[in-house]
Amino acid sequence: MKESCPRFSKLLERYFDQEVTDEERSLVENHLQGCPSCQEGLKAMEGLRYLMKAPVDEADPKENFYWVWQKIERAIQQEDKLTWKESIKRWIDLTPILRKRVWVPAAAAIVILLLIITPYFYKKTPSSSEPSVVEYVESQTHNVMVYESEKGDVTVIWLLEGPAKEGGSQS
Amino acid sequence: MLAVILVLWGASMASAEVRTRIRIIEASNQGALVDPVLSDVHGQLGSLFNFTSYRLLKEVTLSLAGTRPVDIPVHQGRSVEITLLGEYGNLVELRIRVKRDGAPILNTHVRLSPQRTILIGGPRHGEGTIIFAISTRF
Repeated sequence: MKESCPRFSKLLERYFDQEVTDEERSLVENHLQGCPSCQEGLKAMEGLRYLMKAPVDEADPKENFYWVWQKIERAIQQEDKLTWKESIKRWIDLTPILRKRVWVPAAAAIVILLLIITPYFYKKTPSSSEPSVVEYVESQTHNVMVYESEKGDVTVIWLLEGPAKEGGSQS
Repeated sequence: MLAVILVLWGASMASAEVRTRIRIIEASNQGALVDPVLSDVHGQLGSLFNFTSYRLLKEVTLSLAGTRPVDIPVHQGRSVEITLLGEYGNLVELRIRVKRDGAPILNTHVRLSPQRTILIGGPRHGEGTIIFAISTRF
């Protein structure tokens, strides 16, 4: 490789790597027009780049990175083997909501809900063992007949149409 | 927070509702029709009364809570007012008022066990008689 001008040597390298300013670029390009030595130097750099890049470009499509995938799979398998405590800890660490302790009011809300719902589960179970009872019956306008079966399964209150006795009827 | 919990819990305990079903039936001797929806009380009605026809005019299901009276209008100026007075074990105490033109013609307190029906009848309706079948569930 022919030596480029000592003054432009560094600048030429930066020009080749496209690291120069616009001003430096025009300076180098002007110089290159009149300097065969630097032209040779630039060609040599391009040749070198080709020599280095070509084998990599050639190898890249053929490579399936088998070892990389193997490594990833191994890491996933190790992750699967975490104990449940570790899993929960990791999940909590990863969940920003839980990290912010939002679960405290959430747990309180669940407790409130349970307190509200619980009485409905412990509500009296309907039973037909107790009879229905007429505690009181009264009419100012009608005579009233009350019938209750002995078992208490039938209760009838009957308003007898027609004028009631003065003072109404009460039982 | 504790206060809120206690208030809500207290409210839930206090707001026990009693579901009450009121069926307004027209009983008459015009024809021999028994409304299929009355099949559960037909046996009871048949064993007590001599009517040949029972027709459901109206059915209302209420959720009674507290002691607020609920008025159910029945036609020809009649209405039934039902008030939950309290719960005693497996019984609920109800005040039932049958009213005509706003004035009570019957005032009664009954203790009803669940799934049981009380029948209140007598008011005339056309060619027949009105029967109120009232039952509770809670």
